[in-house]
This record gives sequence, C-alpha cells and structure tokens, in this order.
Amino acid sequence: MENRKANILIVDDEKGLRIGTQRLLQDEGYLVDTAENGASGIKLALEKDFDLAIIDLKMPDFDGLEVLRVIKASKPNTVCFIATAYASYETAIQSTRLGSFGYIPKPFTPEELISQVELGIKQRKLIVDSEKLKKERDENLLEIASEKSRLNTIVKSISDGVLVVNRVGEIVFYNYAALKYLNISELKIGNRAESKLPKKILDLVNKILSSDKILLKTFTLQLELLPENQLVVEAACTPVPHPDGSILGVAIIISNITQFKQIEHIKSQFVSMVAHELKTPLAAVQGFLNILLDDSIETDKEKEKDYLNRSITRLNGLKDLVNDLLDISRMELKTKIREIEEIHLQQVVQNSIQMLEFEIAKKKISVAITLEKELPVIKADVNEISRMITNLVSNAVKYNCEGGKIFIDASAKNNYVWIRIKDSGIGMKPEEKSRLFTEFYRIKNEKTRGISGTGLGLTIVKRIVDSYHGKIEVESEFGTGTAFTVYLPINTN
Amino acid sequence: MTHNNFRKILLVDDDQDLLEQNKTLLESRGFNVLTAESGEDGYKLFLKERPDAAILDLIMEQMDSGFVLSYRIKKTEHGKNIPLFILTSATYETGFKFDASTEEEKEWIKCDGILNKPVVVDELLMKLENFRLTEEK
Repeated sequence: MENRKANILIVDDEKGLRIGTQRLLQDEGYLVDTAENGASGIKLALEKDFDLAIIDLKMPDFDGLEVLRVIKASKPNTVCFIATAYASYETAIQSTRLGSFGYIPKPFTPEELISQVELGIKQRKLIVDSEKLKKERDENLLEIASEKSRLNTIVKSISDGVLVVNRVGEIVFYNYAALKYLNISELKIGNRAESKLPKKILDLVNKILSSDKILLKTFTLQLELLPENQLVVEAACTPVPHPDGSILGVAIIISNITQFKQIEHIKSQFVSMVAHELKTPLAAVQGFLNILLDDSIETDKEKEKDYLNRSITRLNGLKDLVNDLLDISRMELKTKIREIEEIHLQQVVQNSIQMLEFEIAKKKISVAITLEKELPVIKADVNEISRMITNLVSNAVKYNCEGGKIFIDASAKNNYVWIRIKDSGIGMKPEEKSRLFTEFYRIKNEKTRGISGTGLGLTIVKRIVDSYHGKIEVESEFGTGTAFTVYLPINTN
Repeated sequence: MTHNNFRKILLVDDDQDLLEQNKTLLESRGFNVLTAESGEDGYKLFLKERPDAAILDLIMEQMDSGFVLSYRIKKTEHGKNIPLFILTSATYETGFKFDASTEEEKEWIKCDGILNKPVVVDELLMKLENFRLTEEK
C-alpha cells in the first residue's frame, strides 16, 4: 500500500459534489471511483477492494447507512466515511456502530476532506499491516504444527526403537519399533518406566537421571532378548538436557544388532577353528622335537631322520594353511581391487595342469581335456579363476588312484560357461559330500589317510565362484569318482 | 612305579604323527600302548583289549568324535572304572568354551580330564596317579 496509490470510492447521488470530490482527491494523488447511487456503490465496493469509501447518507435508492452495512459486512477492512448535510447525533452513533470510521458533515472544505481522508488512509494502513501480521503468525503456527507432526511421523516410522523417559521416570514418548524390540504389548504415555522397561535399561536410565552432573554422553548396553543370538538389541541412552543445566529426561534408542551378533559369532568360530588348525601341526613338530631331545627315549639314526622329515612335512602343511588363510582374507579385500580382464579358459586350464605336472606324473594319472573351440570369453580376475581351477584339479589328483584319469570339459550353455573337472578317484559318501564346502572339513577315512591338505581348498573355490555370481555342482559316488562343475556367468563385470 | 595299575593304555588319535609320538613317549615310561585312528576303531579296540586307561583325541572324523567315544566307553561297566582323558589343542584359549575341571563338567563330558597337545608325559602320569588315589579312598 505504501508503494501504490490508495483507491477511494465516492458514493453520492449529487453529481456536482461527486465530480468535485473526485477531482480534488485525484489532484491529491488518489485513485478515485464514483457511484451515483447506493446500488452501484455496493456493486463497485464488493468488486474492488477499496482502501476507503465516502458514502452519502441520503440517496434515493438506498440509505447510506444500509450501503455502509453491506460494504462492511463483506469488506470489513475498507475504511468508510459517512458524508451528510443532515448531520445528527443519532446517525453519527449509528454509523459508527455499523463500522464507519468517520463522519464528514456537508458542506466541507477541501482541507477538511483531505485531512479526514489522510486519517482514514492511516487507519487502513494499520488494518492491513495487522492483517498481514496475523496471517504470518497463523502461517507460522501452521508450519510448526505440521513440522511437529512430520517429525512424529518420521520418528514413528524409523526402524530403530525410540523411547523417552522424563526425569520423574515416566515414559513420555515412544515409537512402535521400541514396543516391538522390548516386547511390550501395551504402553501408554505416562506409564512408569520401571513397570515396562527391562531392568538393565532401567538401571542405566536411573544412573543417568540420578547423576550429579550431566554428562552429554551416550551409554550403551546390549541385551539378548531371545537366547542364542536370535534377537539381540543395543540400547543407547542419552540424557536430554534442559537449557538451565538440569536433566529433562533420557532418550533411549534401541537398535536391532542380531545380524551383527550372528556374523560376529561366525567370525569368532572361524578364528577358533583357525587357531586349532594352526596349533595341531605345531604340536606335531614340537612333539617330534621333544622326543629327539629326550635322553630317556632311545631313537636310532633312521628314526631320527624320519621324525625330522615328518616335522618338515607338517611345517609345509602349516605354510600352505597360512597361504590359504591369506588368500581368503585377500579375497575379502579383493572385491574392491580386482583386476578384471578377458580370460581364455583354455589357457588357464593349461597353466593349472602345468603347475601340477609333477604330482600328475608321480601318480601316473592321464588327463583328457575337451574344451569347446569357440568358448565365450569371460571377464574376471585371472588369478582367482586360475586358483579356482588349480584347487579343483589338485583335488582330482590328490584323491585319485594310481594310474587314474582326469577329464576336463568346458562348454557354454545359456548365460553360463561351465567347466567340469571329473576324476576316477575315491569318491565320497553322501554325508561327506554335504559338508564339503565347510571350512577346515576334510574327509577322514582309510583312503584319505596320508593325503595332506588344509581343509580350505574348496572353501576358496566356493568363495571365488560365489563372488562371480556363479554356481558349483558336485556329483560323486563312493569308490568311483567325483565331478565338480563350475558355472560362470558370461559378461561378468 | 606309580603307574603300575595302568599298564595298558588305549590311545585314539586320527593324527598319525601325534599318535606315534604319544605311543613312543608312553612306551618309554613302560606302558603297553594300543593305538587306533578313529572313534569306531578305538571303541572296538577298547571292547577287545579292556585297557587300564584311555586317551582320546577330540576332533577326529567329527568335531566331537572324542566326546562320543568317551561317552560310549563310560557307558560300559569296565569303562566306568578306568581313567579317561580327552586330548585336544582346541582349548579355552583358542576360543573353544569347554573344560572338564569341575565334577559337574566331568560328569557331563564323561571324562576324567582334558589334556593339551602336545602331551607332557609327567602331567599325564600325575593325572593317572591322582585318579588312582581318588579311586582308592
């Protein structure tokens, strides 16, 4: 309104006065509309939002007070004046009651009119400003309200449990996940925490609430809610500080850490197995050396040499085991730093056979390789694929019979390249087959006696295959032989 | 000799090196040692030879082969009266959470003690002696 001209409506049936007033106000810089009777005055006033209206009291069609009433009813912020030659105390009171701002007696001098209009315009400005402030305030309140409900919605829908306990020990906020994790079937705002929360959490909350000074620190504890790691949650309790330095309450966040716990368990089991597997060959070597050093035990030269050789064999086995373990840990890192290139299986197979040449010749094993000519090229880390094939061929040699056979076939089918390594060896029983890919599992029977191994070869193969989203199949018959078939997807990135 | 009561000892271990070492050690102390390389063979040998004591490796064909074998032996009349030790390197410090130090644990595991690898002969002799003294009370 500051930057625009105020617009004024003049409603008067007297033409001369109407035009004169219009001109006078236009000269003062106002925008002026006129109406020659009550009806058209009302019509105009309702169409446009006038800042100010000057209404003649006596008109042929409508009474000025009636016009005032109608305009005020729908445009309460238009500042209205009643102008009249018949000024009376009663009409003045009535017009004020109906919302008129002023009462202009006719005839008036230009100065009188202008000073009245200026007062009216000031009033209008106040009205508009206060309207604007009110609107802003309403909007703010609306915003706060919707912000609050949005926050509520967010907190209610997050998967972690959220609970707030106030300083007198009442639960003042919670979400559904909290109920789920703490297995609370019914909870109302204002319930006592001690009747609803597990004791361990309660103790921690009480400790925070009763401490002398606020430590803005989060205290956590883990709770096994269902035995054997079926449901483990972590509760993180943080004091909620008041600006005056006291504690308002404690916020408790409950996260489901079951999966993390299960992985931790598997990992620690693996570490235990590793420790055991490392200790066994060490014990064997230590045992031989102890005997050699023990003066009370008589050993001849031949026996001594035998013990030393067997110690070296165990140490070699230990070295292989360490290498396999390093491979496994490297493989876990390698998903990030893999060197992917185009691989020709033909070449990888040839290299693996070459690497095992000595063992193959020693056992007089014949190897038949039948690879499809136009095998699709696969993209993978050549070290991993070569390790996979070497491990499988090495098993086919180790668990084969003297003078046995190995068949290596490869072809493509649908989206996969498959390679099969089949031996005519000792084979497996069904229960042995089912545990084949378990870490450190080795088949122990009469026929495997004396075959060395770490128990990690197939674990490594399986991990490599899985990491390329491939699959591995095993067919085996006890006493006849075993065939491993690896499927690798074509176009592996 | 203190171990005169236990002339004949059954050793079961699927690790040939450890089996031979323990046999050599025990023989050097004057024991008569019988060996088997699996739980099944060990049980057969036990029934046949009725040894005076038994030392069984824990992890053989299965993770708990030693426990299974000790359970079977302790179920026999003869087994109840002889000392039986489980031999393993899978001890507490490597993360395996079992021990047979209390009576309850010994009852549950069905053995008279756990021996760490490699076997220290003097420790074994002491354990045999303790068993004999307890039995005589």
